Amino acid sequence: MDLINSHILSILTFVPLLTCFGVLACPSLTTARWVSMGGAIVAFLASLHVWYWFDGNTPGLQFTEAYAWIPTFGIKFIMGIDGLNLLLVVLTTFLTPLILLSVWHVDEAKQKAFLALFMLLECGMLGALVAFDLVFFYVFWEAMLIPMYFIIGIWGGSNRIYATTKFIIYTFVASLFMLAAMITLYILHFEQTGVYSTSLLDLYGTSPLYETQLWLFAAFAVAFAVKVPMFPFHTWLPDAHTEAPTTGSVILAGVLLKMGTYGLIRFAIPMFPEAAQTFAPLMVALGTIGIIYGALNAWMQKDAKKMVAFSSVSHLGFVVIGSIALVSGGSALSAEAMTGAVYQQINHGISTGALFFLVGVIYERRHTRMLSDFGGLAKVMPWFAVMLIVATLSSVGLPGTGGFVGEFLILLGTYLSNSFAALFASLGVLLGAVYMLTLCRKILFGPITHPENAELQDLTPREFGYLAPLAILAIVMGVAPNLFLDKIRPSIEHLANNYKAYRLVAEEESHKMPPIGTVRPSPVLTKVATAVSHGSQAESERERGAP
Amino acid sequence: MNFSLPHIGPEFYVAALPVLILSLGSVFAMLQGVYKNIGSENAVFGVLVLALLGALTGVFLGQPTGEATYLDGAYLAGALGKVGQTLILTIALVITLAYRETFLRQKFFRGEITSLFMMIVAGMLVMVASEELVTLFVGLELSSIGLYAVVGYLNPSRRSQEGAIKYFVLGSFASAILLFGFGLLYASTGSLRLSEIAEAVPKLLDHNWVRLGVLFTLAGLGFKLALAPFHLWAPDTYEAAPTGITAFMATSVKVMILVVAMRLFAGSLSLLYEVWLPALMFLAILSMILGNIMALVQTSLKRMLAYSSIAHSGYMAIAICAIGGASGEFPVAAILYYLVGYAIISLGAFCVLMWLENEENDNLLLDDLAGLGKKHPWAAFALAVFMFSFAGMPPTVGFMGKFFVFNAALSNQLYSLVIIGVIGSSISLFYYLRVIVRMYMAEPVKVAVPLAPSRSFVMVGILALALLSNLLLGTLLPESAMNVFRATSQDVASR
Repeated sequence: MDLINSHILSILTFVPLLTCFGVLACPSLTTARWVSMGGAIVAFLASLHVWYWFDGNTPGLQFTEAYAWIPTFGIKFIMGIDGLNLLLVVLTTFLTPLILLSVWHVDEAKQKAFLALFMLLECGMLGALVAFDLVFFYVFWEAMLIPMYFIIGIWGGSNRIYATTKFIIYTFVASLFMLAAMITLYILHFEQTGVYSTSLLDLYGTSPLYETQLWLFAAFAVAFAVKVPMFPFHTWLPDAHTEAPTTGSVILAGVLLKMGTYGLIRFAIPMFPEAAQTFAPLMVALGTIGIIYGALNAWMQKDAKKMVAFSSVSHLGFVVIGSIALVSGGSALSAEAMTGAVYQQINHGISTGALFFLVGVIYERRHTRMLSDFGGLAKVMPWFAVMLIVATLSSVGLPGTGGFVGEFLILLGTYLSNSFAALFASLGVLLGAVYMLTLCRKILFGPITHPENAELQDLTPREFGYLAPLAILAIVMGVAPNLFLDKIRPSIEHLANNYKAYRLVAEEESHKMPPIGTVRPSPVLTKVATAVSHGSQAESERERGAP
Repeated sequence: MNFSLPHIGPEFYVAALPVLILSLGSVFAMLQGVYKNIGSENAVFGVLVLALLGALTGVFLGQPTGEATYLDGAYLAGALGKVGQTLILTIALVITLAYRETFLRQKFFRGEITSLFMMIVAGMLVMVASEELVTLFVGLELSSIGLYAVVGYLNPSRRSQEGAIKYFVLGSFASAILLFGFGLLYASTGSLRLSEIAEAVPKLLDHNWVRLGVLFTLAGLGFKLALAPFHLWAPDTYEAAPTGITAFMATSVKVMILVVAMRLFAGSLSLLYEVWLPALMFLAILSMILGNIMALVQTSLKRMLAYSSIAHSGYMAIAICAIGGASGEFPVAAILYYLVGYAIISLGAFCVLMWLENEENDNLLLDDLAGLGKKHPWAAFALAVFMFSFAGMPPTVGFMGKFFVFNAALSNQLYSLVIIGVIGSSISLFYYLRVIVRMYMAEPVKVAVPLAPSRSFVMVGILALALLSNLLLGTLLPESAMNVFRATSQDVASR
């Protein structure tokens, strides 16, 4: 058990990579399918293992692994899990098998390449999520783009080359500025301490001058804002979503976009707290604009997929304002809002993932996504209707679904600091209900206007197989949010309350878990970073043997 | 000055073994050129490979540990020279082996051409292992004159001849400029040896002749490195030359010039960085912008790679600029890392082009690649990896090289260079992606000449090796490589 616990994150990250090679080596498509599904399920089980053994009482970093990579430059291979990335890791590994299931029947010449690229993408996402070293993070962050580029570019719609080139260039350009900022920070750290290190745990302690911080924060924030995407940088998203194949859209909306908000919480805010405080009103304003703008755009769309794509812009606006909402007075970030933001990330992944799947289901049957081509499907496809309604309600944030919990927490937290923003954001909730219910109505209800719709087949068992888990989860997340929130709350509260002097300590005890079946010992609170004052913190750093 | 002949001991012959072996090989090959009945082209090929292998062995076995100079500094055996010689010889060997079939078709292994080729390599070896200005110049000319001839040997077409003549005229002009710079340095410092110039420089910091000499030297080197605005010969020449020679020029000439530039700017002329730094920064910025923008509109792959090579010279110049700052050790290591990475990527990319070329079509256009992903998946995969490496995407050596170069520059507060570098890389991604789009996403257009890949076993092996080393240097090996290069750079910095 010890051995597994101390290497679980390596297993989690690199099983998909090995699977990718395995898929390429497979002689036939059928074996390749099974191999990729096997790899995806192993990764999912590994993430469940992490989830189960994750100690929800401490904000520290757990399951830490650290290896030297380029010691000359202090570049390490550090992986860890805390409350901020735990749920995203599980979401990633949860969506991957479902996506593989959704393309199980597709029988094309290039299908093997697709499976291989998809496993590569999963490896990239997981690596970026668990990375606690800037260079290590950057490598995965960029490597993630390549498979996505091919997935949109090869399997996408008619305008795919334009869309995929736009997608990769937007992200690449913004990331390069982040790279320059990363190196600058690394050099500042060296000047302050005399030690080369790209470890996030060390760099949290670097405090650049305020003016420098502004530049560095801007560079990081632009990279993440493009990925989210926040309002002025969002234009690649509708193109990419519309042209991407269903699977690409699901993973793009489900996980890739979250990398932006995750990066904001993990990197930009705690590393440059003063700058974050200065930029917070701007970010909240842009987030709010994104909410309203995305919602209005979605309302006007005639294409169902484009509508869902613009709804992503709107929903991720909530996540952005939740991530950076300060409590009134500005001394701390709002813990409620941030909890909501982290929760909403997951919830958006589930509900929007399901919506893209559902649009894919009808597209496969009718080869059109125009809302005007549908109507009255509830009569011919009852199960499809059930799924669509659940996904829609979760997306609009009806109480009893996950969306309600996330949005409520975000609005609550934001209201305390910036009631004006909260007011406009609430308008976004209202608009969200308007356009999503319009989507539902136009597809499901009313008379059947097109005769070919009358004979559509309801969900096949396979389609049911990948939609049902999403629908169930959307409801579970709404009725039992504490199941998820309990594990992540300490990390978030720790960040929200101490973001100006944020430190993260690797929780060494988490390796030594008792075997399954025994009672877990009470958490080792002595090592909890929250409790540690500045003096003893330096001590514990010395204990860790800072080079 | 004492003009008596310097003593030449046996240890000199041991240290200069690589140069001597290649010169001998060159003579043998020449004999075959004169008496056509001695040996076949395969024999010449054998002589070439043996000479290169022998020289490579000589680099590793013959050289003394530490640094030693012979012939009043004309020949210098040291770590930097060793790295340079190894790189140049490896590049020459790889190209000879990988392109054997094509070269046979192109009658490259005729005695006279091969003899020239070996002389080029010998000249390069001399240049990277010399710390005396006249010998440096002789080495440079030995390699350049050979290159002028080799560029145009194959194709009597007007375009090819134009490229060769352009290279020759502009190259001679640049040599003259360089020589003038060397002359000014000699006139003001009273010495041709870099170590003695280094001693004289502190007293002459405000001396206009020295300053002018530095600028002329920089311009001469900039021409050979194809830095804008001295780049005008590069696209035409790259396109005109047989692809194998293009690959050789794009890589080994860069190695040669950068080693010399490091010697000069990190060593003797480092105190004059106030003079050369602004000028070099200007060249670097212009190269990155111009190279990348011009590459956007190219339709011929070789021309595109030529402009991309201009841009990459700009990135390498960033690191040279960083040498002028306080921490001089990392920049040298960064340049060497970038250089090795660039050599691997370029050789790999040109190798794929060579793989796809045939007699009728030796200048591939972008559109010729359409549908390559279906027709030749492995060639397409390799080219895609190399394109991503050129663009600096992780996890390839291109990313690590860029990381080290930016790191060196930011350590020395060269923010403007890094920002231009970042913008340049962003632009470059677009044209590298165009290649990938053609290969994987575009429908095959009807091409006049179907691409018929030659399946040389050695070439495929070398391609695989290039791919592997590309990915390994980007993931697992940067530390080991950097350790080697840092040992070298300490050698440079201590001077």
